[in-house]
Amino acid sequence: MHRTGIRRFHLARDVEEALSLLSAYGGGGALLAGGVDLLRGPPGQVEGMIDITGIGLSQVGEARGGLAVGATTTLTEILKNPAASAYVGGILCEVLRQVAVPPLRNMATLGGALVSAHPWGDIPTSLVALGAEVRWRGEREGKAPAEELYRGEFRGLFRSAVATEILFPPWNGAFAYEKIGRARYDIALLNSCCGVGIRDGVVAWARVAVGARPDRGERLPWAEQALVGQKPRESLWGEIQDLVQGQVEVGDDRRAGAVWRRHTAGVLVRRALIRAAEKAGR
Amino acid sequence: MKVTFNLNGGPQYLDVEPGEPLLWLLRQLGMKSVKEGCATGDCGACTVLVDGRAVRSCLMLAPQIQGKKVLTLEGLGTVDDPHPLQKAFLDSGAVQCGFCTPGMVLVAYELLLGNDNPTRDEVAEAISGNLCRCTGYVKIVDAVLLAAQWKREGRWR
Amino acid sequence: MAVETRQRGAVGQSVTKVDGPALVTGKPVFTLDLDVPGTLVGKILPSPHPHAEIVAIDTSEAEAVPGVRAILHHGNVPRIPYTTAGQGWPEPSPYDTVLFDRKVRFVGDRVAAVAAETEEAADEALAKIHVEYRVLPTVFSPEEALASDAPPLHNEPDAEGIYDAKRNIAAAVDIPVGDIAKGLAEAPIVAGATCEIPYSQHAALEPHCVIAYFDEGGRLVLRTSTQVPFHVRRIVARVVGLDPARIRVVKPRIGGGFGSKQEVLLEPVAALLALRTGRSVRMACTRQEVFVASRTRHPMRVTVRLGAGKDGVLQALDMEVLSNTGAYGAHALTVLSNVGSKTLPLYNKARHLRFHGKAVYTNLPVAGAYRGYGATQGYFALEVAMDALAENLGMDPIELRRRNHIRVGETSPIFEKIGEGREGTAQIIRSCALADCLRIGAERIGWKENRGRRCEDGPWVHGLGMACAMQGSGITGVDMAAATLVMQDDGSFRLLVGATDLGTGSDTILAQIAAAELGVPVDRVLVYSSDTDFTPFDTGAYASSTTYVSGNAVLRAAQDVRQQILDVAAAAVGERTEVLELTDGAVQSRKTGKRLTLSEIGHRAIYVVDQRQIAATASFLCPESPPPFAAFFCEVAVDRETGVVRVERFVVAADCGVAIHPKAAEGQLEGAILQGIGHALCEEMLFSKSGRCVNAGFFDYKIPSSLDVPGIKAILVPSEEPTGPWGAKSISEIGINGPLPAISNAIYDAVGVRMIRAPFTPERVRFVLGATA
Ligand SMILES: Cc1cc2nc3c(=O)[nH]c(=O)nc-3n(C[C@H](O)[C@H](O)[C@H](O)COP(=O)(O)OP(=O)(O)OC[C@H]3O[C@@H](n4cnc5c(N)ncnc54)[C@H](O)[C@@H]3O)c2cc1C
Ligand code: FES
Ligand code: FES
Repeated sequence: MHRTGIRRFHLARDVEEALSLLSAYGGGGALLAGGVDLLRGPPGQVEGMIDITGIGLSQVGEARGGLAVGATTTLTEILKNPAASAYVGGILCEVLRQVAVPPLRNMATLGGALVSAHPWGDIPTSLVALGAEVRWRGEREGKAPAEELYRGEFRGLFRSAVATEILFPPWNGAFAYEKIGRARYDIALLNSCCGVGIRDGVVAWARVAVGARPDRGERLPWAEQALVGQKPRESLWGEIQDLVQGQVEVGDDRRAGAVWRRHTAGVLVRRALIRAAEKAGR
Repeated sequence: MKVTFNLNGGPQYLDVEPGEPLLWLLRQLGMKSVKEGCATGDCGACTVLVDGRAVRSCLMLAPQIQGKKVLTLEGLGTVDDPHPLQKAFLDSGAVQCGFCTPGMVLVAYELLLGNDNPTRDEVAEAISGNLCRCTGYVKIVDAVLLAAQWKREGRWR
Repeated sequence: MAVETRQRGAVGQSVTKVDGPALVTGKPVFTLDLDVPGTLVGKILPSPHPHAEIVAIDTSEAEAVPGVRAILHHGNVPRIPYTTAGQGWPEPSPYDTVLFDRKVRFVGDRVAAVAAETEEAADEALAKIHVEYRVLPTVFSPEEALASDAPPLHNEPDAEGIYDAKRNIAAAVDIPVGDIAKGLAEAPIVAGATCEIPYSQHAALEPHCVIAYFDEGGRLVLRTSTQVPFHVRRIVARVVGLDPARIRVVKPRIGGGFGSKQEVLLEPVAALLALRTGRSVRMACTRQEVFVASRTRHPMRVTVRLGAGKDGVLQALDMEVLSNTGAYGAHALTVLSNVGSKTLPLYNKARHLRFHGKAVYTNLPVAGAYRGYGATQGYFALEVAMDALAENLGMDPIELRRRNHIRVGETSPIFEKIGEGREGTAQIIRSCALADCLRIGAERIGWKENRGRRCEDGPWVHGLGMACAMQGSGITGVDMAAATLVMQDDGSFRLLVGATDLGTGSDTILAQIAAAELGVPVDRVLVYSSDTDFTPFDTGAYASSTTYVSGNAVLRAAQDVRQQILDVAAAAVGERTEVLELTDGAVQSRKTGKRLTLSEIGHRAIYVVDQRQIAATASFLCPESPPPFAAFFCEVAVDRETGVVRVERFVVAADCGVAIHPKAAEGQLEGAILQGIGHALCEEMLFSKSGRCVNAGFFDYKIPSSLDVPGIKAILVPSEEPTGPWGAKSISEIGINGPLPAISNAIYDAVGVRMIRAPFTPERVRFVLGATA
């Protein structure tokens, strides 16, 4: 709780200042957004705290038919934003309402969640499912899908770069989110974010992601492929459930075992798909 | 380093350590209603309002409140003149040990500022980040609903 | 002490809590809210090993850290065996603990302590204490601990009161009544259940903390978050070798306890650090330390075997317990005994009984007192077994309870056979509204309409379950409380009680009891409690004793003061006391109508004629322990596909005699029910293979939040306990006994599987469902 290691605190004015402070500290500086993760554990090696909540990255707006969210926007700000609420039938807000609790959502930022990338996180699973793209500024500007970032050395990247914006693409269809915790306010024992688009009575596209297995949420491309071109009907969802239960990669941790995760992953995917298809059909 | 902020309506101009948790600073300033139940953001006992929003003061550093407005329970009402919300907690039997009470009152205050006719579920959601081990929350929700009713009746000042 | 028909005044009214205004405005009333200038920070070095001998300890580098003022360890602290259990003398728990030992017995055990000027210096010093350990073999379950080749945890020669140290058995009981084997063999219908409860946490919101400082006279003051100030004083004096007369223990407001603060943990360390340095010292557990190094519920496996006639009347009842007391035997024997003594009398028809069990040492955190005190574990198995018996009989579970439960005028041999670590005391039930509780609760939940219906709603299946329980009110022949009541010159009163309000509202309830007797509003009675310098003795807040035991002491003192008031008034008006009445703040003559206000009487007694202090001290020794009773009903929904269980509604109908403060009584039930729901659905401490707790915090040890609260309906069903103050019995513990069995039974009603291992996590429920599918 006492952070003896912290020697300096900076309120950065813009991205440039944040970046130059970050590089000035070498490995000893940290970007501070909501602080929900950073100030929770032991201080570690952080010597200089660089507060980035004042660098002008807290806005939400429509962008190219989708949604653009500044990295330091708090989860509460997103939840209260009309554009965010309207995005793909409100899926982002459906997810965020299940993240932590109101006072933590008042503090936590989308960028922080992206970078912390907790394996049990609701946000990473959803970013991947929704095909969110991340913009950052480091030595150079960069842009990549969250999914791709998570496959690479993103932790190293954000030691010398600031995530600036998360872009959510438009989807002609709908998504739904499912989560199971030990209590209603809990991190996920398992989560799933799925979406479908339906055209001419068949599934035109599908997104299926499952997280907290216990590893970080990833898409199940084979399940998506199995959906495309099919008629949305009761038996299809059952088949996908079986498929997921047969093939999904799961593991044990202290929160839940692999057998339960395997079984339940199929159930959550089926339920999310049914709800998404219902919404998409409307 | 120097920080300037507003605490319960009064200006503060102080020298703080860059790594000092806001929770400690506030307690040092005599705001003993700000409690430490976990120091890891999990319990809500350290809740204060910063610019009208409930936050965990254990997960904030003192310098982060530069230029902001902080409200602790001390700024809401007094023993002789409690805020109606505090009175509602008393009347409803919502206080047992009272350790969670400061945080509970403040998150309820945040809720009622924006919504004076919440449902039971909305109240439960608003206080869900504040753990109480004594009451089972039943009477806390009752208290917030009672305070909301008083607010609708114009009995808040 | 029959209940009189006199006006009850404040009794039965939900008056404002006497400490409420200060609490709700955030006044500095808790232990750590006091700033004592120049206070050192005390911290404890925990053991990294589950079982090891300390070969060498080198503190030289730590002592050199600037700001370090004292370091304590086994080499410089006298070795005095004691128990941390804050019980009355002689404590029934084994003396198997010393302040700092040569041996550590669980990860988190106390190795050393430092006092330093700052947190940082204290932390640095802890990091620089070099300890060489010789690691010893470990046991992490009672089964392992009982194995013939198991390493003994307590082979120290100076331990006292351990049942069988060589075999790691801290305590054992075996109480037969009749012939259980015969009873079970001859019963036409039998049923049984074996239920398990894991390590779980009290999770009081305020972590354990203490400030030790010296008063103007150089006496040591311990301002501490405790349920047992008088036991703290006695035990600290002995362990640190200080004359008890040199110690004052003050309990300010405390942030919950639930039993975990019935333990003397930080106080002797803080006291010794203060004595060594001559400075004030403040110590506070981190949340992680509370989890690991304070106390837990005793994990247990309880097996119940029932034999009944075809009419459902029990003939035989066997209960066997295997209790894990962790590394030390705090409350090992008494919690074990209470598993039987607080459950078996409820069904007093069986003539053949046996209660037997062991409490075993393991290299895991130390169990202690926790609300319910063994009864919670016992009722889980007993009430699940009763549900199974009802099924085997083809009888409604409520009807089965009706045919078996104890009633007014009845007794059970168990009352006499099992006490708190010794024989108990025979007692006859003088008040019992359980039959009403069953009826009212069943109506409220819609038992007839909804039980056995298995209503479906998508994957969710609904079910109804129920359970019964009783508890006690204080420990018979042991618990004693005293109260001093003083009348002031303005006619108001000062009530000094040793009783310990840990958030339960006992200060208020005691004021109500006095106010009702004195015919004044509660705000005319100023309560000052739990200060060993200023208040008379009280055993403390445990065993559901305060309302009944302390309440009776207050009532006696008030009766005495009332008489003195009448005497003064009689002299003043020149009439006999028999014609005088004390109501509404005045004494009035029924004969002449002459009237004197209390302030006139107070003034007269202190200043005018025949001056004297109107005051009385009275004490009350718990003569019997009248049980409160409760019937619990709940509706659950089970998601067959994922195993998630939701408690939809919970109804508890409870008989606590006359509820002195109905809202406080309901609040005790509601809080206890939710804790019980936590036990049933999510609470469990988990350990690594090396015995380290891996979820020591609220992030991964989930306690219910407001979102997990079902509709809880607490119904107070009145009875009048003739031995209770104004007819009252206890209420604070009983509520926690119901949720585990009621929820398990409801799950059975919904999906036909018996959940016998708590908590009923999605994974476990799915597993059991899958196994039967
Ligand atoms: C009690 C609790 C419960 C939680 N429950 C949930 C839950 O149910 N579901 C869920 O999904 N999550 C949950 N979380 C996680 C939460 O969503 C994230 O911790 C939070 O969003 C992090 O945001 P922050 O702004 O506070 O990050 P910070 O703590 O400020 O930062 C986190 C990390 O990201 C870095 N960082 C922050 N912003 C940027 C940026 N713009 N560019 C580069 N690096 C950056 C920081 O340097 C740091 O390393 C929970 C957390 C807690 C403490
Ligand atoms: S002390 Fe801050 S959330 Fe618990
Ligand atoms: S009243 Fe004790 S924690 Fe809420």
